[in-house]
Formats: sequence, structure tokens, C-alpha cells
Amino acid sequence: MRVEVSGLTKSFGTVQAVTDLGFTVEPGSVTGFLGPNGAGKTTTLRMVLGLITPDAGSATFDGVPYAALPDPVGTVGAVLETAFHPARSGRDHLRVYCRAAGLPVSRADEVLTAVGLAAAGRRRAGGYSLGMRQRLALATALLGDPPVLVLDEPANGLDPEGILWLRGFLRHLAHEEGRTVLVSSHLLSEMEQTADRVVIVGAGRLVRQGSITELRSGAQGAGVVLARSPDADRLAAVLADAGLGADRGGDGLVTVTGATPAEVGARAFSAGIELHELRAETTGLEDLYFRLTAGQEQFAATSPAPTPTPTPEGAAR
Amino acid sequence: MTALVRAEWTKLLTTRVWIGLVAGACVLAGGFAALFTGLAGAEPDGGQPGLPAVGTPQYEEVVFSVAANASVLLLILGIIGMTQEYRHRTATPTFLATPRRGRVVAAKLVAYALAAVPVALLVLAVDVVVVLVYAGARGAAPSLDADNLQTLGAAGLVLVVFAVIGVGVGALLRNQVGAIVGALVYLYVVEPIVSSIGALQPAYKWLPGGAVQAVTSDFQAPDLLEPWQGALLLLGYGLLTALLGTLLAVRRDVV
Repeated sequence: MRVEVSGLTKSFGTVQAVTDLGFTVEPGSVTGFLGPNGAGKTTTLRMVLGLITPDAGSATFDGVPYAALPDPVGTVGAVLETAFHPARSGRDHLRVYCRAAGLPVSRADEVLTAVGLAAAGRRRAGGYSLGMRQRLALATALLGDPPVLVLDEPANGLDPEGILWLRGFLRHLAHEEGRTVLVSSHLLSEMEQTADRVVIVGAGRLVRQGSITELRSGAQGAGVVLARSPDADRLAAVLADAGLGADRGGDGLVTVTGATPAEVGARAFSAGIELHELRAETTGLEDLYFRLTAGQEQFAATSPAPTPTPTPEGAAR
Repeated sequence: MTALVRAEWTKLLTTRVWIGLVAGACVLAGGFAALFTGLAGAEPDGGQPGLPAVGTPQYEEVVFSVAANASVLLLILGIIGMTQEYRHRTATPTFLATPRRGRVVAAKLVAYALAAVPVALLVLAVDVVVVLVYAGARGAAPSLDADNLQTLGAAGLVLVVFAVIGVGVGALLRNQVGAIVGALVYLYVVEPIVSSIGALQPAYKWLPGGAVQAVTSDFQAPDLLEPWQGALLLLGYGLLTALLGTLLAVRRDVV
């Protein structure tokens, strides 16, 4: 099932959250929805799911808007912010939505097992760790065995093992089971390892979309490379001669910008310079991501906010 | 719709809120029944008439209709049933499962009306048991004749309809604390003042409090509606708030 987003626009009061945003999500692949915090990712996903009414534009699943889907739970599974009644057990939470969707309540236990939460199913959701909440949200999304999955920052709060598990799980759902997976993140490194395609947004607008490979080749893979050598001064000189930006750091370190590790290694080798360390600090794609979204964060950190002037106690009413 | 109503029952029964509210309703009804029985026939100090004595039809009407006072707890049950979706942000999964949000509100109205029936029966049973035992001990246990059953039925009807009104108020106000506080202020501050002002009497009979009195009082009261009119008016308040809530509040963005 194909997801098509076109011309989505939404403002909250004076804040323009999303502007004329359009992209498509294809089945059988994981599409990363990438952008800095405040870029409008969550607003966009909520518009796609009919929770927020857009000012303009549309989002459809094989041509049908979410609100008109005959079987929403069996068509689209969504992981948004973790929303549970804290006093209700995870299993009961799932049973509520089994009932609402007309599914057998036994489905609750199946999805709990699928996300590795079977042992905690009868405990109150209020006592769950952040990672367990994410797993419960994912379990809710899987209830109707939907062909489309929409996930908003699902890696938040997962430990490294959980992230690895999630990555494999999403890729399995897309590649082996042919589902359509749209997953948002503000972390490029995460998306590089999970997604086949990425849609990059900044300040509510589409910045770039394409496969990871396309974007990588567009950026030529050149980023920041760290090299360490006992002969660092000469290495820096050789690289500078080759037209690369090379900065000399302490302890034999040279920071090279606009290069790949292979290039730096080749220069060092041909000049006969011994290397003790050579690694990419950022990939070209990461540089590209920073450049594409630079200055577009809604909450760009500037100077700390001034502390409010203390009011006299009598006036503080 | 059946599936959605069952989903609401599952929501209701998988937290413990209902236990406290139902217990509170039983205590309230039983407590007032005991209080009024204990004070029945007591000679007043001032010039005001005291409570009617045990064994009189007036006494029986008072102690059997007192169960209707527990309606405030069913009102709160309905308010919580609706507003917890916003308070705990479960509105997101709920509206994802049922994108046509009016159906969610309709399902809650039906689910809470039906769930309120056994609750009302339990509250009435507590009332009746307390009255039969205590008044019996004081010498004249009332019989459950047609008049008294009618009084009990009216009280039960008020209890059920207040759960419906609670859902409606919750749909309109969305904020749980605001809705509960607002409802209590209305019932215990605004209405008593309105009802005490003579010039407002013609309006009072159209307010929920006047409607409750119309349903539960079967003595002659020229300023009140007929019982069936009062019941319809109460139900109308529940459905009207639910409709307004659906149109004005529930359709708003869930962010």
C-alpha cells in the first residue's frame, strides 16, 4: 500500500508548522522521515493519520484518506507518543483496541509476544520503563496486522539492544513482509542504518527526498575525517597541498574536512607517512543533513533566556 | 457500534475508578437513608417542619428518593469516562482506531447509560435494605408497593441519566478537573442560588435541578414539570452537551 502526501500545510496560530509538504512512501521499503526537532515531523504524521486537520493538502493510503478507511486498525498501524492509562495493564490496553477494531482479544497476547513484552503484559503500564512503553506502542500498532506502519521517533528511550532489535524488526516488516514503513527520526545515523529512502524536512518544508545511496553519492561521501600520525605536521602539510582543509590538533591529530578516509589514507601512503588512526568523524550524508537543515531548527539554541525579574511577593497574585 | 460500546466497557472495568465511585454512591444513598430514618418524626426546634415520621407515605417517599442524591457520583463517572481520553492522551489511539469521532462519543453515551443500570440497581438495593432494616427496627418497615417502586424507579432513572450527562459534559469541556469542578459548582452553588430566587422560579423548572425534582417528587408542585417531562429534559441535557461537545471540542486537533 502506497502513502501519498501532497501539499500538506498547517499553522498553529502564528507558527507555520508545515508548508506545502509532499512526498510518497512506497511498499516494501523503510522510508525515513528525517528532520531536526521542531521541523514539523510529528505534526505531519498526525495530519497523515487524521488526528490533526490540515489547513490545506491531503494524505492518502492507496488513494483513501485515513478518516475514510473502512478498517483503519487493519490498514495502518501507528506509533505516536506513548499514550496509556497508567493504571491499566499493557494487556488490557491492547484488549481495549482489539474490541474497538472488532479483533479477537487473543490478538493482544500475540502482539505482546511479538514485541517481547509478554512477561510484563499484566503489569500496570504506568510502571513501564520508556523502552517498554515504546514496545507497547509498537504492539498497539501491530494489532490489526496492517500493511502500513507509521512510527514517530520509535527509537526514543530504547537501549542500544532495543534499537538494534527495532532496526531489524522494521527492516523485516518492510523487506520480507512487503509492508510500507514510514519512520521519523531526528538522528541521521539511525536512519542511515534503518531506512532505504529518506525524506528530509526542515522548518516544515521538504528539503530533499531520495534513497540513501542517491543522497550519499550526491554528497560524494566527503565529510570530516580524523587522522592520527606521529608525523602530524607533515601529514597536515601534504593534505593542505592536495587542497584539503587540514587542521592540526594536539597529540598527533589532524582533522580533515571535505574528504573521505580513503582519500586521506591514499595521500598519507603515497607520502610515506605512518598513520595510527584513520576514521570518518561525520559521513558526507551527515554533513549534507546539517547543511540542508542548518538554521532551520525552530528552537535554535541561542543565548540562554533572561531570568524573569523577581516580583515583590505582594504583587505575585 | 457494539464493538465500540464493548471497548468502552473494557476501558471502564480495567481501571479501578469505577469501584470507588460505585462504593461512594452506595455509601451516600445508604447513609442518607439511615440519617433520614434516624431523624424521622423528630420534633423540630424552630418553627420549621421536621422530617415526616416513620410509617407515613411522606417518609417513604423521602427515604426512597434519597438514592437520587448519589447521581453526582455517576455524573463524575461519566465525566471521567470521557475526559480521561484527554488526560492520559489515549485520545490518540482511540481516534486512530475510530477516526469518525462522533462514533466514539455515541459509544460512550450508550456504554455509560447501560453500565449505569446495574450501578443504579445496586445503589437502590442498598437504600432499600437500609430503610427496611432500620425503619423495621423503628416499628414500621415500608412495603414495596406501587407508589414506593415508582419512587425508586424515578431515583434510578436520575442516576442513569446523570451518567449520560457526565459523558456529555466531559465531551464539551475535555479538561477533567475543569469539568468535575465546573459540574460541582453548578450543582451546589449556581442552582441552589437560582432556585432560592423567587423571580427565577419559572426558569428553574427548566434547569437540571428542577428536572430532577420533577422526576423524583410525586407530591403536587405547581412550579415543576411532569415527571416524564423532567426525565426527557435531563436526557436532553446529556445529549445536547454530547452533541455540542462532538461538534465543538472532540473534533479539534489531537496534538
